[in-house]
Amino acid sequence: MQDRPTASELLDSVAEYLFAELRPEVPREQRFRVLVAANVCAVVAREIRAGDAPDEEDLELFAELLGKEVDDPRAAAAELSRRIRSGELDERIDDMAPRLEEHVRRKLDVARPGYDASA
Amino acid sequence: MEELAAGIRLVLADLGIDAGRLELSRIPGGASRETWLAEGESARWVLRRDPRGSVSLVPMAEEFALLSRAAEANVPVAAPLAFEPDGGRFGSPGLLMAYVQGSSVAPRILRKPEFEHARTVLTGQLGEALARIHAVDTDSVDGVLPQPSTDPALDQISEWERQLDEIGEPLPAVELGLRWLRAHAPEPAETRLVHGDFRLGNFIVDESGLAAVIDWELAHLGDPAEDIGWLCIRSWRFGNDDSPVAGVGRLDAFLSAYESAGGAPIDRDRVRYWEAFGNVKWAVICARQAHDHLDGVRRSHELASLGRRICEPEWDFLQLAQEPV
Repeated sequence: MQDRPTASELLDSVAEYLFAELRPEVPREQRFRVLVAANVCAVVAREIRAGDAPDEEDLELFAELLGKEVDDPRAAAAELSRRIRSGELDERIDDMAPRLEEHVRRKLDVARPGYDASA
Repeated sequence: MEELAAGIRLVLADLGIDAGRLELSRIPGGASRETWLAEGESARWVLRRDPRGSVSLVPMAEEFALLSRAAEANVPVAAPLAFEPDGGRFGSPGLLMAYVQGSSVAPRILRKPEFEHARTVLTGQLGEALARIHAVDTDSVDGVLPQPSTDPALDQISEWERQLDEIGEPLPAVELGLRWLRAHAPEPAETRLVHGDFRLGNFIVDESGLAAVIDWELAHLGDPAEDIGWLCIRSWRFGNDDSPVAGVGRLDAFLSAYESAGGAPIDRDRVRYWEAFGNVKWAVICARQAHDHLDGVRRSHELASLGRRICEPEWDFLQLAQEPV
């Protein structure tokens, strides 16, 4: 066990420093890069907080779409990608769109919460 | 940098211009090309060159030829002045252009008060500029750009499949997008010169509106509606989600300016198809740029962070694909 702050709390502190303190101090042409750095910290903090649940939900989804047991989400995503590309799942494109939306939403929840609310 | 300044001075001298002392500074941004500002005693120029060892989609020499054709067709561009090949006076392949006053930074254009008037006229100006790009005689770029096959949509899908295969990133939603695009490709359009990256961020804007269309490295021959769909994707609205055209305007107003300037009428469904395509393409570009960082082509946290933005255009694509036609 590590002492507090936790990993995500530490990242929050760095994100706050970059965004609120450093950004206004740097030359204008550097500000966007500082903002990106602050945002990266916030993304990683959210990923840590989310834990294993998103990967497990993706595994379950990929297993269902592939029709077989899978144990590694990245390998399963690669196999699903290959099978979609080959055209063998063409008949199921319309059914798969809302299912893959679940997977994409799990990525957005970490990378850009709220992006799926509008549009 | 001294060497580059000397090279630029020599090239300008060939054009009959005595630049005097030249100050060089890097202009930030431009993920795949280096951009330098050269300030002389009484004028300024911009140099775009390949970073050493990189491979660009449209080689610099072709970008120079395209810019020249566009300038002749009265498209607002930064006037191209000179091209130097690899090992020439700019070091790597590069092109020297006139400096254009204004800003290309999207949030600034969308929010700063000095661009208030520009925002009201930009939509119409973009429609007119794009109509001029699409009116460029395609024979005049013969030998500059590869000839498309009989179906420009399938050409583009294959191209971005290839781009994705080069990095081997497993992206099932993007793969679904590529298959969907194949299944829904519209009747092949008459091919025109397509800019390929016509969007906010690649427009230099001043107080009176559009000053130049920049960044021609994705140009190709294709379906003219491709440029309009790309212009409208949500990522290029920079938060102004209700204004599809560059975050400032409506598609109706854009299309009416486009048609008034001689552009052929374009069907809405075709624009929507290319907007769907644009999201898939942007997802692939994000993945590639993240890999440029991972593979050490260019280490940058800005490129790295794009890997986590793939899900945004994936989401937008899935919404478009599921909307009733």
